[in-house]
Amino acid sequence: MGAEAKSVNNESRWKLSLDSWAVVVALLAALLIRAGVFKHVPW
Amino acid sequence: MADVVTVPQVQPVQPALRFLRVIPGVLLLAAIGYAGKLLEQNVGAYAKAHHWTFPNIEYVLWAIVLGLAISNTVGVPEIFRSGVATYEFWLKAGIVLLGARFLLGDILKLGGVSLVLVAVEILGSLAFMTFLGRLFKLKPKLTTLLAVGSAVCGVSAIIATKGAIEADDEDSSFSIAAILALGALALFTFPVIGHFLHLSDRAYGLWAGLGVDNTAEATAAGALYSDAAGKLAVLVKSTRNAMIGFVVLAYAIYWASKGQAQAVGNKAAFLWQKFPKFVLGFLLISVLATYHFFNKDQVGALANLSRWAFLLTFAGVGLRTNFKDMRKQGLRPFAVGAIGEVAIAVFTLGLVVGASKLFHW
Repeated sequence: MGAEAKSVNNESRWKLSLDSWAVVVALLAALLIRAGVFKHVPW
Repeated sequence: MADVVTVPQVQPVQPALRFLRVIPGVLLLAAIGYAGKLLEQNVGAYAKAHHWTFPNIEYVLWAIVLGLAISNTVGVPEIFRSGVATYEFWLKAGIVLLGARFLLGDILKLGGVSLVLVAVEILGSLAFMTFLGRLFKLKPKLTTLLAVGSAVCGVSAIIATKGAIEADDEDSSFSIAAILALGALALFTFPVIGHFLHLSDRAYGLWAGLGVDNTAEATAAGALYSDAAGKLAVLVKSTRNAMIGFVVLAYAIYWASKGQAQAVGNKAAFLWQKFPKFVLGFLLISVLATYHFFNKDQVGALANLSRWAFLLTFAGVGLRTNFKDMRKQGLRPFAVGAIGEVAIAVFTLGLVVGASKLFHW
């Protein structure tokens, strides 16, 4: 297997699904709110 | 000298470029969603000031209708398409954040009841759709896709099953079109029927979560009724989504036993791969909220952030629904889907009414 193919394989192993990205972003937003970076989110 | 062979190079899209490409569409989702919010606030006030009788139309409906109007008249220009497709991302992020408004006890209590109803709904729907597919002489794999789409969770279930049972692209686009068209129809009919039958928020939320197939449409159909119904619809729909891996695995094993799909090697890995991770995110946030990791103001901020994410989702639901494209897909799968969906809606309504009487909701 060539180095390029290996690197593509390694890359896809770490690629997150849309689902997982949504969880990561939502949890990050929750942590920022918890840390007081965003004190108020208007609606 | 060796021959020189020119191999066409596929240029990978840079992550930064991919990010830039979604910006116009995301801005369009935000603009339509915000316009829906402004219309909700101002149309009602204008009608009241002029003594008109005008129903209070929620931002959810305005955002969907504005999206539908654009998609079915001028269409969505190419530059916006990749950004509009992110509505699924906002939906899932919104569901995770919504977890802050559920205490773990509520989830266990409501989730326990809904788990039983979801199991009955899934088994009943799979059996009925399989029967209908055979009656209408649809291709067996198309029948499987329609059955999974209407029993579990719409488009995601169809896509997951398509890969697992090696179904044709044509079959999956038929099924997706039927499920989306029927989801759009459910958006407008479920709230009307719910009000007509004077269903409580709890009964209606359960019904929307059980009876509407696609997560975005189930969320919107619930929110159109009331905030409480919307919350419950999301919880029940997420319970249905959590079953996706088991149903897809069962079908993958069935089709592999017939020699028409690859055998499933590691079943646990298969289940994990198909499991919707946002359900875990939702549970994690609700555990944190239950143990007071967030104070009251922070829970309010998380709930509002979840509403903004849903606002983009509702605009996306309207924008990606194109009735002309759906008509192109043919009548037979649509007829099977429509008959099945009506039967499932009536069946799930019966389940919910039965549960309401049993538990005195």
